Amino acid sequence: MKNALYIILFILILGSLSHFGLPWWAVVPIAAAAGWFFPLAAGKIFSIAFVAGALLWTTNAFLLNAANEGILSAKVGVLFQGLKGWHLLGITAILGGILAGFGAMTGRLARDVFVGSKPKV
Amino acid sequence: MHIIRFLLSFFLTGATIWLLSTPQKAGDSTLPPLATFFNPFSGFWKNAEPVGGFAPENLNLPGLKGKVEVVYDELLIPHIFAGSKEDAVRVQGYITAQHRLWQMDIAARKASGRLSEVLGERTLNIDRITRRRGMVFAAENNVLGWGKSPEGMRLLEAYAAGVNAYIAQLSPADYPIEFKLLNYAPEPWTVLKTALIVEAMAETLCSGENDLASTIALTQFGRDTFNYLYPEWNPQQQPIIPDTGQWKDWKVALPPLPAVGTKAGAPTSGSLSGVFEKNGDFFAQPGDVDDDYIVGSNNWALAGPNTASGHPLLCNDPHLNLTLPSIWFQVQLHTPEQNCYGVSLQGVPGIAIGFNENIAWGLTNVGQDVSDWYRLQWTNPERTKYSLDGEIREVQKRVEVIHIKGKEPLLDTVRYTVWGPVVYDYDKEHPLRDCALRWITHDQPAPDAPNIFIFLNAGKNYEDYRRALAAYDCPAQNFVFATRTGDIAITVQGRFPVRAPEQGRFVQDGSRWSNAWIDYIPSDRVPAMKNPSRGFVFSANQHSTPPSYPYYYLSGDFDDFRGRHIYDRLTAMKNATADSMKTMQLDNFSQRAADALPAMLRLLDQNKLDADGRKMTAELAAWDFRYEADATAAPLFEVWFDSCYQKTWDEITTLRQQKKQVLMPERWRFIELLGKDTASIFFDHPATPQRETARDIVNETFALMQDYFRQNPQKRTGWGQFRGFTIKHIAQIDAFSRLDVIVGGNGSAPNAITRTHGPSWRMIVELGERVRGLGVYPGGQSGNPGSPYYDNMVNTWAKGEYNDLLFLASADETSNRILGRQTFMPRE
Repeated sequence: MKNALYIILFILILGSLSHFGLPWWAVVPIAAAAGWFFPLAAGKIFSIAFVAGALLWTTNAFLLNAANEGILSAKVGVLFQGLKGWHLLGITAILGGILAGFGAMTGRLARDVFVGSKPKV
Repeated sequence: MHIIRFLLSFFLTGATIWLLSTPQKAGDSTLPPLATFFNPFSGFWKNAEPVGGFAPENLNLPGLKGKVEVVYDELLIPHIFAGSKEDAVRVQGYITAQHRLWQMDIAARKASGRLSEVLGERTLNIDRITRRRGMVFAAENNVLGWGKSPEGMRLLEAYAAGVNAYIAQLSPADYPIEFKLLNYAPEPWTVLKTALIVEAMAETLCSGENDLASTIALTQFGRDTFNYLYPEWNPQQQPIIPDTGQWKDWKVALPPLPAVGTKAGAPTSGSLSGVFEKNGDFFAQPGDVDDDYIVGSNNWALAGPNTASGHPLLCNDPHLNLTLPSIWFQVQLHTPEQNCYGVSLQGVPGIAIGFNENIAWGLTNVGQDVSDWYRLQWTNPERTKYSLDGEIREVQKRVEVIHIKGKEPLLDTVRYTVWGPVVYDYDKEHPLRDCALRWITHDQPAPDAPNIFIFLNAGKNYEDYRRALAAYDCPAQNFVFATRTGDIAITVQGRFPVRAPEQGRFVQDGSRWSNAWIDYIPSDRVPAMKNPSRGFVFSANQHSTPPSYPYYYLSGDFDDFRGRHIYDRLTAMKNATADSMKTMQLDNFSQRAADALPAMLRLLDQNKLDADGRKMTAELAAWDFRYEADATAAPLFEVWFDSCYQKTWDEITTLRQQKKQVLMPERWRFIELLGKDTASIFFDHPATPQRETARDIVNETFALMQDYFRQNPQKRTGWGQFRGFTIKHIAQIDAFSRLDVIVGGNGSAPNAITRTHGPSWRMIVELGERVRGLGVYPGGQSGNPGSPYYDNMVNTWAKGEYNDLLFLASADETSNRILGRQTFMPRE
């Protein structure tokens, strides 16, 4: 449980910092690092990193959207066949989640190859 | 085992990144790369501007000579205070790019035939025609001409450098959302791009001509019928400059009559009647109202004796295709030489329409035909040599390289002759295949051209105005003008060829140099007027002068209705105020309806109508000819009038169905025939045994109109709803457009709103001890659909309201309408 919290914080903090200058896919290597340092079971680490990536992306999007009073998301929603602003937040969350999840899982599995440690539970 | 699981996961992750950063096809459209677009760090969320959070930063700008202060008002209008003109336009470039970068980029791309580079093959034909019409050639010539004015060129370069300073500090996260959607990046601005924007205006405003359609009409109908159908002068016209005897002593030598090249795609034999009998019943579906009249613009100035304040009033509302972002960007430019406020064209330094403490000016399009086709006499089968006065000339080839996204570039060779480019020779079917285009826009401008608006912005009196205008060539404009000290004036300014009568009306023989434009009307002989005794000057794209003006000019597109009504209103106007000017700009009265409807009702057999028809007639008879948004009689008239027009010219629409693009007679002429020549052969349907008259057409089309509304009861609404109206995003993205606005207005009324066009900037200037401006355009200062300033003036405009323009005397002036302040300092 504690590990899960660490992983989420790790991805949230480094993920937020990384975007001063790094490209959007920086979340993938960051999640991979999390997977390396916190070697939970692959399925578990995917889920935790998914939550972290989703939170990272959607919180940032949510804040921008709230400050904008939803002006732009309403328009972009129309552009995407009539989606609502919160649909777009959902898509953003899923995309962030998938990227972080895959990243963390890859980092975790890399550790198996290069270090060979047994997963802690 | 571990290694396989790792590799699988690694490649899955890599594939996901690739998939989410690559544009995906979804049906007909292409989705932007999903993660690139949705991520909140550089994707579209970054374009969601905080509402109420506009806080401009202080900046250092390379190339500045001194400190420049910018005050933003509540509408996000920048008021720029600089120590020199050069600094002012440098910051103007920076700020315009900051708010309108994608619009600038796409406008320059469109004008240079480079859309396909970012949009792919679907825009290839547009690009190709743009190139073949010589748009880039023209812009290059423009830059060559501008280069002769070092002062002007320095300002153009400063503006471009300002734009580029803004672009240079951008990261992809900051790109306007359209770049993210279309997945490309901005590129540096150049003086050539400014020239391209100017050429794009010329394309919009002075490329009109009917050479081919008139030539086909002449060969089909013969001279007498041609003259009957297409008279050039409307006797009811109120020209811009009346004849006050000012040109009676001019000695004018017109060139010899031109040789007409009648073979330009038109058949030279064959009888008309045979054609008509086959397909005589064709007419456009009623209700399919052609609302796309060529809309132009209005401007006028009233002298002090006619105004309540005793000082001149000046008004302007240029009618253009209404888009988001808007074509205009409001700005105030203050330097030691000037304090000027108005609208600027994105990509062009200075102010195009506006005022300063001493003067105000406005523009409407002149619309004279400055675009002629010359039929070439090729002397070899490869079409690379042609005969001119018996001598053999060789074409010059210009290779246009059109880059296409995802494809090999298209290399297109365009042949240039002494006349200009051979535009359509790639199309074997095109009737102008063997013709070259002579277009004033291709010519090098006068050396002072880049300074025209710079001079005008700083103008103080009538002499400054005339001096600034002297270099203005193209697109010709009616420059209305007024001063604080009481002068009013109007000048039909542009470069106009001295033409023989009817020269340029038809496709001309390109094998004779005597058909060329040799001389141009001297600048002191272009139509102009200062302080007329009637106390006002005005223009609405109508004829520049009455036929007594010694020079011949032509256009098929002179306005016949708005100007007459504006003239009537100005003639009656006493004690005018800004409010009375508003009622004129918002006036939905249609002179066309007022001319046509009484004649139509007179010819209608009202006793043969059913109850519904009698109700409609009563409604029409009670109509005040105003296209108000809620006017329910206006759709009835529009459908009836349009059917009537189409049914009368069924002979011509039949020919046009057969791809013979015969010129359509003008609407004023049609209305004249309805009133004066009801037995004209053109009211007859060739396919029927009996001979119809105007009365038959009017009654027949009234029944069609009734049928139409019986079948489409939902169309029985107010005019605004019936006509429809959109302000489309430039890339036609509906989500970024305004499709919900219901407004009155009509192309034949001063408030010339059609489905897609309308007053793009309504401006009223009260001159006097302290100048006051009112203005509004249907858009917003920001080009970002995610900004609250993207379309915040649309509702104001639609309601017919105006903003009081904040005209600051200095950067220190305080006002509760100020949003923020910004300082630009020179970068060491």
